[in-house]
Amino acid sequence: MAQPSSLRRPAATLSCAFGVGLMLLGGCASAPVPKEQLAVAEAAVKQASSTATGEGAPLELRVATDKLAGARAAVASGDMVRARQLAEQAELDARVAELHAQTTRSRKAAEESQNAARALSEELDRKAVR
Amino acid sequence: MNARLLPPLSLLTLLVLGACASVPERNVALDQARSRLAAVKAQPQTAALAADELTQATEALRVAEAARAAGDSLSRVDHLAYLAKQRTVIAEETANSRAAQAVTASAATERDRLRLAMRTREADAAQGKLAASEQANIDKTAALAQADATAMADRDRLARREAQVDDLQGQLRELNARQTDRGLVVTLGDLLFSSGQANLQPEGQRSMVKLADFMKRNPQQRAAVEGYTDSVGSTAFNQELSDRRAHAVLDSLVQSGVPAAQLSMQAFGESRPVASNTTASGRQMNRRVEVVFASQAAGLTAK
Repeated sequence: MAQPSSLRRPAATLSCAFGVGLMLLGGCASAPVPKEQLAVAEAAVKQASSTATGEGAPLELRVATDKLAGARAAVASGDMVRARQLAEQAELDARVAELHAQTTRSRKAAEESQNAARALSEELDRKAVR
Repeated sequence: MNARLLPPLSLLTLLVLGACASVPERNVALDQARSRLAAVKAQPQTAALAADELTQATEALRVAEAARAAGDSLSRVDHLAYLAKQRTVIAEETANSRAAQAVTASAATERDRLRLAMRTREADAAQGKLAASEQANIDKTAALAQADATAMADRDRLARREAQVDDLQGQLRELNARQTDRGLVVTLGDLLFSSGQANLQPEGQRSMVKLADFMKRNPQQRAAVEGYTDSVGSTAFNQELSDRRAHAVLDSLVQSGVPAAQLSMQAFGESRPVASNTTASGRQMNRRVEVVFASQAAGLTAK
């Protein structure tokens, strides 16, 4: 249900012309709904919304989900340019959230494995001294 | 220029400039994206572990720069700059995650190596213990064999000694040795001497040979030669006679090869009679030379 809300608002002709001009300069005057981009973004956000990512990178994940919601809202208000942009950003934000959580986990695992190896090495040295 | 027109004109200029954007202007977001990419590219770890992601980020920045150069809108350039920045972050995080995974993998390998070293050391220790216990076993077997050999040698020695004793006893029987509280006594009777004299009769010579043989064969046997007489005659005479007879026996033994160190002598005269001097047979018994072997030698008993 896309209806350009800018046309509804009572506005001076100058600002209206500027608004259209800006939209023209934006490059998409009568843009279709960015369905494909939205689908990609939704899939990426869904994948990132696992418990692990939610625990490891809550802020980053929030950014992604907020932008996806913003993309949908932009579609509803007829701003397809903005909708596409927000969808593109949401896709990358979701990936960043995933990776951030993964890096935190990987670093923790690395530290634990190094500790285990060190403990084993010390045990070996103790036994050698005996 | 009319001063009253300046503010609206400048405002319009700014708006036109902002709208048309025919001259590329500085974009803060783009500058930040550019410098961030440069910094991450400089990280050797990222370049090595996330090369593809870095390429994508570089391409995204190029698109953003091109949009700015082409005079695209601020919102578009900002948007593209944001995408480039996020791709840079993705490259960096990907490299960090892979590096951490590599550390985990190498630590796991190190643990496996250490466990193997520990198992190897335990196996070597067990091998060492096995070798040690096998050696102990060998040593025990050798000690056992040694003990057996010693026992056998002891048995042989005992058998020889017993044979020797038997032999000894046989010899002693031939000598008519008598076990007394003084030790073993061989009595050389009066008949071995001529009456009142100290020369040995032929019968006496034979006894001497047997006695000398015995003593030479048993060099550890030391003997005391004791001379006795009956009570007939003076004490002084009898003392002197017993001394001469004892001497005769001693000399005979020495001449037969018995070392003098094995012999000692004592004359008792008429003292210590073994029978009554009132009868002829008693007196005859008292007239004697006794060769006494002190009973310190083991196994020296007359049967």
